[in-house]
Amino acid sequence: MNIDPATTTFDQEVRHYVYDQTMKVGTSPTVVETAAALSATPAKVQASFHRLADAHMLVLQRDTGEVLMANPFSAVPTPFLAQVDGQTYYGNCIWDVLGIPAMLRRDAFIQTSCGDCGTSMTLRIVNGSLEPAIGIAHFAIPAAQWWSDIVFN
Amino acid sequence: MLIFRSEEHLEKWLKDWHMPQGAILSLEQCWQLAQAFYGPDRRAPDWRRKTLDEIEALFAEMGFTSPFWRLR
Repeated sequence: MNIDPATTTFDQEVRHYVYDQTMKVGTSPTVVETAAALSATPAKVQASFHRLADAHMLVLQRDTGEVLMANPFSAVPTPFLAQVDGQTYYGNCIWDVLGIPAMLRRDAFIQTSCGDCGTSMTLRIVNGSLEPAIGIAHFAIPAAQWWSDIVFN
Repeated sequence: MLIFRSEEHLEKWLKDWHMPQGAILSLEQCWQLAQAFYGPDRRAPDWRRKTLDEIEALFAEMGFTSPFWRLR
């Protein structure tokens, strides 16, 4: 697990922009959008995305190099949806979708479904607390292997 | 990490997918873990990922001490 990444000041600016935009609008900016916002070339931003991915700060879409995950947010729709102040966000898993109100420090209404039968399940975060709800979370992959296949996990 | 209506639903899912059981958390434990990992603002210039020592200490504090939670 690489947790001592070789990232640059520009990477910090990219990470800030990606998270800021994702937190504001619910989806991650593209390479081109990020380049325009930071007055940089797309190639420079793409290289930064890859460094941030190597440092486990972003997960990229394999074929396009665009952001797939800026944890806890998913850049693509998933079965883990959080509504916060009228804005819709997607999490990557049950842990991450709970991470969205934790990061935004806001109340949230979470819509998800049972991994077995698909029955709709809802959770509410109110004033920093999880309201009582039926259900359990299951972590299938041992912690040491979480980053081996982060998309599956 | 998935959510299930009950342990019975999890057991059926594990059987259907031929998966061994991993770690079962209450939703409250999952919420606590989410706050610990995602509470800090990742836009901050000095934000960094937690070190292995910090994560292990956090897991221990939450009572996650089985081999499943070992990071190395």
